[in-house]
Amino acid sequence: MKVFSNSETFDYSWEEVSTANWRKYCPWNEKSTHVIAVDTLSRHVDAETGILRTERLITCKQSAPKWLASLMGGTDVSHVFETSYVDPESKKVTMVSQNLTWSNILSCQEKVVYQPLSATKTQFVQEAKVTALCGGWQKVKNAVEEATVCRFSENARLGKEGFETVLEMSRRVFSEEKKKQTERETVAL
Amino acid sequence: MSASLAPECNEVKERYDSCFLKWYSEKYLRGKGKTDECSALFKDYKHCLTNALKERGIDKMLEDAREDHKENDAANMRRG
Repeated sequence: MKVFSNSETFDYSWEEVSTANWRKYCPWNEKSTHVIAVDTLSRHVDAETGILRTERLITCKQSAPKWLASLMGGTDVSHVFETSYVDPESKKVTMVSQNLTWSNILSCQEKVVYQPLSATKTQFVQEAKVTALCGGWQKVKNAVEEATVCRFSENARLGKEGFETVLEMSRRVFSEEKKKQTERETVAL
Repeated sequence: MSASLAPECNEVKERYDSCFLKWYSEKYLRGKGKTDECSALFKDYKHCLTNALKERGIDKMLEDAREDHKENDAANMRRG
């Protein structure tokens, strides 16, 4: 098993980050192009705790190294299942995900937490555990794990850059909306 | 917003996603939304998506993953 961990700080409030997180993979994000679709499978607010629980299916398309691709059966489209929990009271977003595709040879389990550092700063903590399950030489397993962790790290870097753009655009659109609303209200008066 | 894996569901998905995001930012985060107001739109989207998942055989993979995720609920569906 190999572990990949990463943490980042975003100069935006937790409310802004947790909202923009729902559209992290929208067209504004030109960096995370490996994510081609995000579908919501179920969603509900827990009556007791007020926690919002969401299940999503994330569809990715990316080319793996040739030797790895042949091991994976030649398909470049993969699916990830994600369950997320938003607790608005303690201001915490937790997202856990795992791969659905190639799950017989490789297990990737990821956990992401967003929590406020201050009123204007939010921390992102990510941890991924990668385990090759394929039988055979340890050398092969190690190589599969290495390649996967390597891709995780690359996607994490691009993901941060892409998400920064989404945050910036969200803030801009939100302030424009607010301005328009104020103008409408002024006219109405 | 991001696309659906089934292009035929994109339109209903877009409508649902916009509704959800508005509810999330304007009500839920401000402690005013205990129930999801977009459930009617979600129903349309879900109907479309369920068929698409079946056609692609993804529904079976999901069943297994859901089982595995049960322990996450125990850890995350409570305060802390």
